[in-house]
Amino acid sequence: MSIAAPRDRGDLVFAEAKAERVVPAVFFLSAATLANEIVLIRLLSFRFWPHFVPLIVSQAMLGFGGAGVALQIFRRRVERSPGRLFAWMVLLAALAFDLAFRASQLVSFDPFLLLWDPLAWPRFGGFFFLLAVPFFLSGGAMAIPFAFLRRRPGPVYAASFAGSAAGALVALPFLMLAPTGWLLRLPLALGAVACAFVLSDKGEGSRKGRAAALCAVLFLLVIPPADLKLSPYKDLAAVRNLPGAREIASRFGISGDYRAVFAPGVHSAPGLSVRFAGEIPMQATLFADGEQRGTVPKDGGRMPPAYLGYFPAVLPYRLFEHPRVLQLGLRGTEGVLTAAANFASSVTIVEPAQELVRLVREDLSEFSGGWPGSLPVEIREEGARNFLARDRRIFDVIEAADISSATFSSLGVHATGETFLLTREGIRAALVRLGEGGLLAFSGWLKAPPRENVKILRTIRAELSAARLAPAADRIAAIHGWGTFSVVVRRTPFQPAEIDRVRRFCSDYGYSMVWPAEGAGAGGGAEERALREAVSDAMTGAPGERGTELFDLSPVTDDSPYFHRFLRLRTLPEFKRLLGSQWIPFVEWGIVFLVLSLGVSLVLAAMLLLLPAAFARDGTGEAATISVAGYFSALGLAYMLVELTFLKAGILVLGDTIRAAGLAIGGFSFFSGIGSAVSGRWESERAMKRVFAGIAVCVVAGFVILSAAASPLLARGWAMRTAAFVATLAPAAFLMGIPFPAAISRLAAVGGSAIPFAWAVNGFFSVAASAS
Amino acid sequence: MKIAIPLITIAAAVLSAALHPALATDEPYLQKRAAMVRDQIEREGVSDPRVLAAMRDVPRHLFVSPSFRAKAYEPYPLPIGEGQTISQPYIVGFMTQILRLKETDRVLEVGTGSGYQAAVAAKLAAEVYSVEILESLAVRSRQTLSDLGFRNVIVRQGDGYYGWEEKAPFDAIIVTCAGGHVPPPLLRQLGNGGRMIMPVGGPFMTQNLVFIEKDTGGSITHRNVLPVAFVRLLGH
Repeated sequence: MSIAAPRDRGDLVFAEAKAERVVPAVFFLSAATLANEIVLIRLLSFRFWPHFVPLIVSQAMLGFGGAGVALQIFRRRVERSPGRLFAWMVLLAALAFDLAFRASQLVSFDPFLLLWDPLAWPRFGGFFFLLAVPFFLSGGAMAIPFAFLRRRPGPVYAASFAGSAAGALVALPFLMLAPTGWLLRLPLALGAVACAFVLSDKGEGSRKGRAAALCAVLFLLVIPPADLKLSPYKDLAAVRNLPGAREIASRFGISGDYRAVFAPGVHSAPGLSVRFAGEIPMQATLFADGEQRGTVPKDGGRMPPAYLGYFPAVLPYRLFEHPRVLQLGLRGTEGVLTAAANFASSVTIVEPAQELVRLVREDLSEFSGGWPGSLPVEIREEGARNFLARDRRIFDVIEAADISSATFSSLGVHATGETFLLTREGIRAALVRLGEGGLLAFSGWLKAPPRENVKILRTIRAELSAARLAPAADRIAAIHGWGTFSVVVRRTPFQPAEIDRVRRFCSDYGYSMVWPAEGAGAGGGAEERALREAVSDAMTGAPGERGTELFDLSPVTDDSPYFHRFLRLRTLPEFKRLLGSQWIPFVEWGIVFLVLSLGVSLVLAAMLLLLPAAFARDGTGEAATISVAGYFSALGLAYMLVELTFLKAGILVLGDTIRAAGLAIGGFSFFSGIGSAVSGRWESERAMKRVFAGIAVCVVAGFVILSAAASPLLARGWAMRTAAFVATLAPAAFLMGIPFPAAISRLAAVGGSAIPFAWAVNGFFSVAASAS
Repeated sequence: MKIAIPLITIAAAVLSAALHPALATDEPYLQKRAAMVRDQIEREGVSDPRVLAAMRDVPRHLFVSPSFRAKAYEPYPLPIGEGQTISQPYIVGFMTQILRLKETDRVLEVGTGSGYQAAVAAKLAAEVYSVEILESLAVRSRQTLSDLGFRNVIVRQGDGYYGWEEKAPFDAIIVTCAGGHVPPPLLRQLGNGGRMIMPVGGPFMTQNLVFIEKDTGGSITHRNVLPVAFVRLLGH
């Protein structure tokens, strides 16, 4: 089967005489598409929650895959005028970057209702579909040149990769330059540039239409962006809704959208002892991507508020007088003020989000009264693991506060997020920075049934045992108030007098000591007994996983750094039963969304991929063979899996998820683009075998080197870590850019009718890989 | 003419009754409500007959928007607007039972929301004072409670964190909106011998309940209480 020659003159011109315009159009459209993906991740994290990230990846790849299927099915019609269709898909994609998001905000979609309201699903489907539209259009536009315009696939695919790399690298600084609501300007602007390359064509009517479309794109660029509609259940939306609420400061950047809101109705003191009878001063609430991140008491820097002495998390200050404190994470000014109120001698804060640091230190200094004058305060803007590896100073108290919130970590929203600080290796890195008698402290919300507190205790115990600091139980103390817990650990055993101080602290403030165990007479109801049993088991029971537990509470390591992942598949039926009968004790929303994304993606992919076969009678689907499907699905799966494997290692080394994602996507795209550009030399079967062998070697070697070098790299500067990360992925990425265009060339050589189908398969299975 | 007047009066009464929102729409929901109390509340461990009777009486579907009425008796929370929810029936029953409300009690509710919890409490106590920070919800719940004839519930728009000083002390306090701490003003307004219940968590996400008692000498004790589902999960 051969490709029919382009029929109209315009297409001839476009495909041959003006062919040089296709490659830049693909480049800019790819850049716009990748930028759209990145900014959508931020926008949906802000509007909803971070678990929408896999959803965006699914939408992108389903859009691409769907476009391939559509081109395959309508191949005969597309062949009549591929240049014109290419131009219109570029133009409509540019428009869709903005309009699809505006339309998606009109869909009244409540993620919480998905669990029990069937009517919520059509709305979710509409929301999902609308955001997939720009990816469908851009995916279709990118497939047309090598499927229908007789372009050699190498340069077009290279332009696509290079555009993706450029899109990723441009999107990162743009996150620092543009307010969150304006982020879609980037894909829109890049799309407008792509449109400029498809304007010149023969046929007056057509040219007018295209010009009108470009004018519409430019019009969207100059009008104000759509107001971001937050889910009403986001913390920021709830506080904004309070009478008298006003935003007093905001910052935005790569790591997030940060806002400070003052509302008289906010009185935040999570876990405050019921023994506190005083007043909570006015506060500003800090939000990171719409979720509460901390508080700033008004004028707290001038006089630390008294209530800050009434939390279980104050325990380490009762055991160590005038400590040198290291706080991992900035929680407004409350962390510093707590240290000041409890007579710390100095505070060092490690916080990777520069924007948050500036918001608190500069923008809110008048409201907060600055830092307490008597307390030396230093802020280091880097990842906690990087700081622990690099800085040689010794501290008396190291605090990792708020390892669980009252709501979201319990819902598993963070189940898919890496937490390298809460791993055995992270605990090891912190313990070595402690001085004589120094304490490592963790605090968070109590959950029923117990989760985070038990998991951190097991992780600590595993690390202490491995370091031959046994028995671990003698080096740990754990207490809880009515809502929160605090765990302290150190390298040397606690003395009886120190345990007495813990006991006295609990007695004075109305807390309970759960470790060391208080014996049979400790009292409490079923809930208290359950907590004590769980803690006791974590401290003295057999190490390792319990087959009978509802949750995964096994120790966390860098290999699988998902502290907040509690879901066990075999206990799903029990949770499902509870959802239907009582309330929501526990839902791993992050995992649920991953599974949903994977399930929906696979079902849609299977259905769509079967469609061409349905058209086999007229010859349209005969190219959709199992061998094509097998080859390109393997390529899609492999590419995404390798990219994600490097990304996970990159998050540890670079200390920041967004930068690691940008570099991984950008780096892979850039080097794969080079591979695609030179793929014409590697199309023979023999050469391809060498390429695949090279990929296997480079992937394994790159990952092994990166993993082995992670510890020493953590102590190095940003430039060195970035260079090392990119260097380890570059060889594999280069070689992985070759197989797709090489195979497309081979398909083209035998007629090319299967090329759109190959594009679709590749897109779909990239989804499955990214979701799994 | 003599017959016509009583007929018109009766017709007007019937029409008026039919148009009254409570009477007009309650009939189809009676069975659902009875099933809700039986299957979701009584079967799951709420046994106080007064609480069960109150929940059988209060037309829950009138406290949610018309689009959610069909689901009002299902075992989950529902949106009521402004990012707020009406708690699932079991939680309302559980929290009400644990407060051991008496007919002479004066009750403070913080977070009126839909007004449903206030209505159930009003069936069991002498007076219910309810504070809602969001004006729109305060207006709507006040209207709903008034339409349903609850004369012993007073709803005020304001910051519930500070309670209702003029009406203190209270025999029981229900904090229906989840909070990060127990507001000291509420502890002060809780009378000796009083009980207080407060959930921990956000909308749709109740994680825990804290129960506080003030003894006759004014000393405060607190404990976490778990609904039956949690206790089952724990294996007790």
